[in-house]
Amino acid sequence: MDINRIQNLKNQAISNILEAKSEEELEHLRVHYIGRKGEITELIKKLPSLEGENRKEIGILLNDAKRAIGETLQQAQGKLQITQEPLDKEWLDITTPGKKPSHGHLHLITDAIREISEIFEKIGFTRVAYPEVEWDWYAFEGLNMPKNHPARDEWETFFIQGLSSKKYGEAVLTPHTSSGQLREMEKTKPPIRMLNIAKCYRRQAGVSHAPMFYQFETLVVDKGINIAHLKGTLDYFARQYFGPNRKTRIRPFHFQFTEPSFEVDVTCIVCGGKGCRVCKQGWLELGGAGMVHPQVLKNGEIDPEKYTGFASGFGLERVLMMKYGIDDIRLLFSGDLRFLKQF
Amino acid sequence: MNIRVPDSWLREHLKTKAKVAKIAEYLSLCSQSVEKTTKVDDDWVYEIEVTTNRPDCLSVLGIARELAAILPRFKIPAKLKQSTVYSLQSTVKDGLPLEVKIANPSLCPRFTALIFDDINIKPSPKIVQERLEKSGIRALNNVVDISNYLMLELGQPMHTFDYDKIRGAKMILRESAGGEKITTLDGQTRPLPDGAIIIQDDKGRIIDLCGIMGGENSAVDEKTKRVLLFVQTYDPMKIRRTCQLLSFRTEAAQRFEKGVDPQGVILSMEKAIAMFEKNCGAKVASNLIDIYPNPPKEKIIKLDLNLVNKIIGIEIPKNEIVNILQSLGFSILHSPFSILHFSVPHWRDNDIAIPEDLIEEIARIYGYHNLPSLLPSGEIPQQKKSFTFVWENKVKEALKFWGFSETFNYSMVSESTLVKAEINPAECLKIANPLSEDWIFMRPSLIPSLLEVVTKNQPETSEIQMFELANVYIPTASDKLPNEILMLSGALTGNQFFQVKGIIEALLAELEITHYNFSPYQLKKTFYGKIFHPFRTAEITIGQDSLGIVGEINPIILARFGIKGRVVVFDLDFNELVKYATTTKKYTPVLKYPAIIEDLAFIVPPKTLVGEMIQLIKSTSLIIQSVELLDSYKDTRTFRITYQSEKKTLSDKEIEKIRKKIIDKVRINFKAKLKQLSIT
Repeated sequence: MDINRIQNLKNQAISNILEAKSEEELEHLRVHYIGRKGEITELIKKLPSLEGENRKEIGILLNDAKRAIGETLQQAQGKLQITQEPLDKEWLDITTPGKKPSHGHLHLITDAIREISEIFEKIGFTRVAYPEVEWDWYAFEGLNMPKNHPARDEWETFFIQGLSSKKYGEAVLTPHTSSGQLREMEKTKPPIRMLNIAKCYRRQAGVSHAPMFYQFETLVVDKGINIAHLKGTLDYFARQYFGPNRKTRIRPFHFQFTEPSFEVDVTCIVCGGKGCRVCKQGWLELGGAGMVHPQVLKNGEIDPEKYTGFASGFGLERVLMMKYGIDDIRLLFSGDLRFLKQF
Repeated sequence: MNIRVPDSWLREHLKTKAKVAKIAEYLSLCSQSVEKTTKVDDDWVYEIEVTTNRPDCLSVLGIARELAAILPRFKIPAKLKQSTVYSLQSTVKDGLPLEVKIANPSLCPRFTALIFDDINIKPSPKIVQERLEKSGIRALNNVVDISNYLMLELGQPMHTFDYDKIRGAKMILRESAGGEKITTLDGQTRPLPDGAIIIQDDKGRIIDLCGIMGGENSAVDEKTKRVLLFVQTYDPMKIRRTCQLLSFRTEAAQRFEKGVDPQGVILSMEKAIAMFEKNCGAKVASNLIDIYPNPPKEKIIKLDLNLVNKIIGIEIPKNEIVNILQSLGFSILHSPFSILHFSVPHWRDNDIAIPEDLIEEIARIYGYHNLPSLLPSGEIPQQKKSFTFVWENKVKEALKFWGFSETFNYSMVSESTLVKAEINPAECLKIANPLSEDWIFMRPSLIPSLLEVVTKNQPETSEIQMFELANVYIPTASDKLPNEILMLSGALTGNQFFQVKGIIEALLAELEITHYNFSPYQLKKTFYGKIFHPFRTAEITIGQDSLGIVGEINPIILARFGIKGRVVVFDLDFNELVKYATTTKKYTPVLKYPAIIEDLAFIVPPKTLVGEMIQLIKSTSLIIQSVELLDSYKDTRTFRITYQSEKKTLSDKEIEKIRKKIIDKVRINFKAKLKQLSIT
């Protein structure tokens, strides 16, 4: 193979590249010299058939030529771009609306679940999920509410037709996330810090009550858990979720599965605690809470002599509606895109 | 249950100068919640929500008792006034007779009755009428008003009969059986469920539906001269059950089913006598009948002071604990050490049973607002993280940025929705006591709900793109909970099968799920198989596992839902996705040698499966890095093939060999002919 020819080829290529006036011309030259069937490429392909000393030398030359042509091409491309049209000719009307990628919307409930999960996960809670169609034992009996107990009236319950267990009673749509308490105790031993966010069902329908709704439930069981810890956890949640100036208070209430039991209020988010049309003297009801009843701990096979615990259960839509000022819970489940797309 | 208590009436029982607002605030903080206070004339009315465990608070007296313990804690003097009442000592000679038989003493733990004569029926005194009205009960006449008045004041429901309408002056209290009937005071004839507590007279007429409402046949009217007054307690469970079966509840029944204090009966009777004499000009015409076979024993609760501190979280001195409980009517028995013994006041007999109940009393009166607020300081549990929630977030986020809006629909659907979607309701979980026809079955698929949402939105929105992540419910056995399967389902309107398929492929890639197949749907899930278009539906499988379905909805079903145009859905088993999803990415070295890319166009016979062609081409050689469908036009399919070796630069010869293999394979397997080769 002629060494001069290789040199000539290289020089010719470089001078052609330097004179090229357009991108197309450069691409054409690239294909011509170093493309798959280019002149230099063809020569490289023939290398294996050469013999002795020459092959190494020619190999180096060819590769050098290929590299040089490649580099020159690159530089030429760069220059070409710079020396092209004056930039003011490339003026764009930047007020023209942008081309948006398609973009959907997550539901408010999803946002709230995430936010609440994050708040509690930071202080060591783990989110769990338990059955929505649940046995009476977990929903009522095991929570200290035997059949026909008047306390059950507070939970207007849906029953499932033709489904019952000898051991656990009838099947219901769980009317509260508290049914997860015994499930959790069966699954884990203390220390427990559970966050159960789930669908619940009650026979109710109206502006502020839907037959299906979400609750979020906390359960803490450990040695030395007391009312002060419940208050601390509630305050922490209220500040994180509603804002740094919010406080909570607990008032006496009654649940069969906690003793003492509380109703939890938060500083009104409308008036900030001064008292207004929406609230009761500056307070809004958030939900229920209490110290886990010793019988419930026993039912969950936890020794109440050794351990104490607290639980709280709040309606998710309720806190969310408070936060966004939504006045009809049914909107959340309406599937109305005009509503859903606002969030 | 809510009660209304007029302030003026309250102060008849409670000596205090506390302002109305303070009473409302402190009662709410330490006892029952005051929902609102309303000004009526020159009085105020408290509306109070009384919790089910505290029937003793369902009265003016009960609320006064609480306030007498609470207000002094806020440095406001308050004292319960002891009312002086008629004494039951005197005996009546030659009283009117009443023979009483009680079939079973457990039905009526305490039965008291007294007969009044010389009744003059007229309106009650103004103060009685006003207090009743303020409390939400209509005043009727002086006799009936007494029973309502004392129920509100003392929490003890009563009933008055016209004595002369009781045949044979004889009563048998028993349970109803065998489909009996009663016409109650309100004129309604009610078929009685078995086990209702009733009274029959000597003629066998049923004259009272005990604890709920009296019979019309024995009611007091304007001609009544002699009245039989009933002050009883009944088995709460029986009352409750009867009310539930009749779907009928009265104020009296609401109190009886929560439990009325049998020890309070005599006080009520005494007050009643005083009112009958004063308001009706009546005189007592019989001796008191008091059948009370099993008075409850005094209840003693042991309280360990250490437990008090353990649950409340601060140390409350012993003398303060004792003071608080005494202010609520508990008495301390001989208790020299840290274990205290308290006897429970009779009006709290039903709700105080364990030491924790006493601790609640101590803590609420001490004031929850006076307790510190601390985060739990113990060990943080080391729980296994559920990846389901992690993937939920990731998948929802991805779908959102691909243009989907999220919906939440009810888990319950109507029968007609199922039928429209060709789902057999008999295979679904059914609610025994539905609230409305719209919510009867637990949905076994999210798709019908999504179709309804499409229907609802179609008039306003032309392009609908939405998804839902929720459980579906698949019954298993009659003594097993159903399978709750988390499904990720979505719907897009329009002729967009490949857009949806592409989204699912991208989603699977995001979850690092590979080696899945799209194959024609085999109708494995029979209960909703017919919802899909039979020729435009694919199942996604990995081995024997089905991840779900991508497909068009059958146009017949779309028409039933009133949907215009096509709808493509995906319906994925989220648990299967989680099973195969992984966060661990694998590193493979970046290939150093140049790739060679060329396009092959084939002419194919009709219904040739492009997916299978791609797989076949790909399987021809390990150096084929990717095969993409570049174009599909009429009978021509153009594939872009990328060859690249990890060991060397590929020569034309090597490529040519593989290309020939590809062309041969495609010809043999698909009867497809090469139309064009273009090298880039």
